[in-house]
Amino acid sequence: MTYGDGGGAKKAGKKASAEESSYNKPLPRATLNPEVSKPFWDGTKKHELWIQYDRRNNKFVFPPREVSPGDLTPMDELEWTKVSGKGRVYSYTMVYQSVIPAFNEDVPYVNATIQLDEGVRMTGNVLGLTEKQKTNHELRSNQRVEAVFDDVTPDWTLVKWQIIDDEEPPAPPSKE
Amino acid sequence: MSFRGEAAIIGIGELPTQRTTLGRSMPGLLGDAARLAIHDAHIKIEDVDGIITEGGDTYPAFVAEYLGLRVRFATGSSMMGASGATGVALASMAVMNGLANYVLVCIAQARNPALGGGAEGFPGHGSEFDFPYGPAAGANNGYGQIYQRHMELYGTTQEQLAHVASNQRFNAQGNPNAVFDGQPITHQDVMDSRYVNYPLRLLEVVMPCGGAAAVIVTTAERAAASLNKPVYVLGGGIGLDDFGGMQKPEITVSPVARSAPIAFNMSGYSPRDIEFAEFYDCYTILESMCLEDAGLVPKGEIGPFFESTDTTYKGEFPINTDGGQLSAGQPGLAGGFRHVVEAARQIMGKAGVRQIERNDLGLVNG
Repeated sequence: MTYGDGGGAKKAGKKASAEESSYNKPLPRATLNPEVSKPFWDGTKKHELWIQYDRRNNKFVFPPREVSPGDLTPMDELEWTKVSGKGRVYSYTMVYQSVIPAFNEDVPYVNATIQLDEGVRMTGNVLGLTEKQKTNHELRSNQRVEAVFDDVTPDWTLVKWQIIDDEEPPAPPSKE
Repeated sequence: MSFRGEAAIIGIGELPTQRTTLGRSMPGLLGDAARLAIHDAHIKIEDVDGIITEGGDTYPAFVAEYLGLRVRFATGSSMMGASGATGVALASMAVMNGLANYVLVCIAQARNPALGGGAEGFPGHGSEFDFPYGPAAGANNGYGQIYQRHMELYGTTQEQLAHVASNQRFNAQGNPNAVFDGQPITHQDVMDSRYVNYPLRLLEVVMPCGGAAAVIVTTAERAAASLNKPVYVLGGGIGLDDFGGMQKPEITVSPVARSAPIAFNMSGYSPRDIEFAEFYDCYTILESMCLEDAGLVPKGEIGPFFESTDTTYKGEFPINTDGGQLSAGQPGLAGGFRHVVEAARQIMGKAGVRQIERNDLGLVNG
């Protein structure tokens, strides 16, 4: 797998090239250390959400790092852990004009911060709003969502978020 | 040790903010701003023995060489839009401790859209974990989310915050350094402007520009002999936040909640004593949350405050009397410096048509 490949132009294999060229939005491009976040993207390819876990401090770490923020636990003690894929909307914005031109064919769309039930937050798109809900900006914080996986190219699978209706989530982990 | 009036600004210089600065370089703009500040301070260029720049694109040693300064103190403040205000704090520390007598703080932004807007940024997490999901331009994405959450938590409305933009546009009229001088807008204009990303409307978002500013900082002892009314630095604090902001505990609280108490404690004054405010305003919501976090308005009550308070230079509590960045333009790295320079200008009594009467004690968030 290649990381840091923004446009898919360097991709080997005819089939992959053809499919990738149809996807004209940015792919994940690591500017710090592609190796440290590889398990995350390996996980999304399998349609699973994996997050670093700092067992010593009983907390999840995201985005992936070489040390645990606040504790400086070294990377070899951070365990990649499969998580529930459920969370809630922390806040959101409805994008009418993106900095990336290719997204302007989708406007308006939701760009949100999702708080996983495990405590960490990530950026993502919330899917499944009706036109009326978009027009009236009806999405609210704490809306329950679940990860869905979008295979945008043969090599890359993005995490997106589908609105769900479920019971109260389990409490996030607490320090023992 | 405390600033508490031990250091002062004795000269200011500001170039007009412009949409582009074609044909100009960063050091060149710094030179023009520095000349104005040195002239305003009534000192000679040879008197300047310290320099503070932003430090990244304007490496201080090179700028000193370019300007022909012989300095014994130099550093970069490296705080992006907050580099100017941070630079004044660093300059104050330098003169109080004898590292220099007259420190030139100078910050510039050259802007040529044909050369790109610098969207690449520095290595971080954004290109991997944010860009694939189609962020709005610049910092809009995060501030849209802060705005949304502030409305949900406190009942703040877009109608209330639109006053921030229209009041400041009033202030910008007659300011030759403001990019929107001559283009007044009403509250309704703000409400009628299109969404860039809900809840942010176009007129609640700053416009990227180029420009430059400079100030001269010296000791209180030397300032006492200045021909200008010295602008004493009474207190200062520097607060930092997560850069991305994704994981911070509460996105509607800014680092001002930590920096302002330090500044107030140092100064001996409280928020009640403040007569006017010059506050960083890349977005209406950012300025609003910072005014709350500084203690000028109780948390969550900024909406009703703007609904009931005239914050123009003619009003009971003037805010961003030069138009702020929203109406004067955001000169990039020099963005926050605008607020420092305007506060000093008001205290010196040099603000012309927009001169406020109660101008002894201001609070700046740069």
